[in-house]
Amino acid sequence: MASDDLAFATIAEIAARYRRRALSPVELTRALLGRIERLDPTLHAFVTVTAERALADARRAEAALRRDADGNPLLGIPVAYKDIYATRGIRTTAGSAVLADWVPEDDATCVTRLQRAGCVMLGKVITHEFAFGLQFPGHRFQPARNPWNLEHMPGGSSSGSAAALAAGLAHGALGSDTGGSIRGPAAFCNIVGLKPTYGRVSRAGVITLSWTLDHTGPMARTVEDCAVLLQALAGHDPADSASSREPVADYVVPLGQGIRGLRVGVPRAYFFEGVDAEVEKAFEEALATLRDLGATVTDVEIPSIQTSWAFLAILMAEAFAYHERDVRGHPELYGDVLRERLLAGGLILGSEYVQAQRLRSRLQAEMLDVLRRTDVLVTPTTPKPAPTFAAVWDPSFGFPKSNMAPFNMTGLPALAVPCGVSAQGLPLSLQIAGRPFDESTVLRLGHAYEQTTEWHGRRPRI
Amino acid sequence: MTLDEVRARMKAAGIEIAENRLELVRRLLTDALAPIHVLDSRAARTLEPAVMFDAIRSAEPRQDDDGE
Repeated sequence: MASDDLAFATIAEIAARYRRRALSPVELTRALLGRIERLDPTLHAFVTVTAERALADARRAEAALRRDADGNPLLGIPVAYKDIYATRGIRTTAGSAVLADWVPEDDATCVTRLQRAGCVMLGKVITHEFAFGLQFPGHRFQPARNPWNLEHMPGGSSSGSAAALAAGLAHGALGSDTGGSIRGPAAFCNIVGLKPTYGRVSRAGVITLSWTLDHTGPMARTVEDCAVLLQALAGHDPADSASSREPVADYVVPLGQGIRGLRVGVPRAYFFEGVDAEVEKAFEEALATLRDLGATVTDVEIPSIQTSWAFLAILMAEAFAYHERDVRGHPELYGDVLRERLLAGGLILGSEYVQAQRLRSRLQAEMLDVLRRTDVLVTPTTPKPAPTFAAVWDPSFGFPKSNMAPFNMTGLPALAVPCGVSAQGLPLSLQIAGRPFDESTVLRLGHAYEQTTEWHGRRPRI
Repeated sequence: MTLDEVRARMKAAGIEIAENRLELVRRLLTDALAPIHVLDSRAARTLEPAVMFDAIRSAEPRQDDDGE
């Protein structure tokens, strides 16, 4: 297998090669570290490369594979962690000058779970500042570049995770998603990202942005790889007060069951406002593919969907609550954009926060009602492909309305899957959302779509 | 929301924001609060953000707690 093919192989393909003794974890890890050394000075996906740790993990995985060739599917799989996941003994910056030298004493639960499953830690990947700001020119940390076009953003805030996967620098990554920060970067970089149900995957040890909106989850290059990662991550964690005791399903075996008879709902209002024509065309073609695969597709209405943007009031108020002491005491340590977003949260009245939560309850009830009549909802993940850095660095850019935030408001699982390419060569993406804790159906639909199309197999020229 | 309303909220909250960045903050707040300000609180079906409890059955840790 050529080195590029190795870098872009799926987790299942790598695991099969390990078990045939056609490849070793140390060999793959060395290849990826070399690739990171060659490409990352251009992409800036990594904040910290943990080469020695990676090779130690790889040697341990190699020994484990020698003892038990039928072990865990993640044994020896190289991954990268978003730099808001605490890693014991390894600097965790949150992309911020506030934590630029913070070295945690414990791993986040998600890190513990992937390391226990045998993953190889390649390093820490950049996040937008505290998962809410932006990296401007002159910022302490450089922004990750989009491997599909270096002048365009890779999305945020899990920008390094998506850029690393799209460039073949890792085989899996962790992201976090408060208003689309797993799915947006996945959409802009032609990879797959899953925001699981609120409470499905632990947030313990992950730096908070908004307690009631934060989700953690896997990012990878295929739906199956995401399912394999989710299998290791999901499950109750007493260290996370929002962690659910709902039993963990099998996410991998049902992937191949097909989607004949599955009911797909399309909420047209809100999700198609400001959508580019080429995004809409790719979306309609995706619907046609789902019909060909045996799903029934119908339009649905969510009466309160236009109130979704109360999301921003909840996010800003909770983020201010988390950061208040530091942003009041050391405002100079925050970037301009983040500081203003946080301070704006301090201007939201208590009554407004309560009303936003009431709107959220209504939206959640309506979505659950729609999901009694349909199995999944599908929308474009983003209304447009990745913007340029020049556009987002313009002071008038603001905080764009999101097709993803409604599923943070409601806590429902949502997946981003590649579904096309723009005239400029930028990736387009399909969002699939489902019932609470029904990640299996969401992943099954995504896998069926992915296996019928070739979008996920495209590679950027770097 | 007007710039004067933003300034009034800043004064009440003890928050300082540079004058040349106020318009951005005003737009951010306007977007965030628009759905809230059109809500007729009393006409809306009762929606109460409330804490919910499950009965506590035992002081023993559950078997699925992995103790991490």
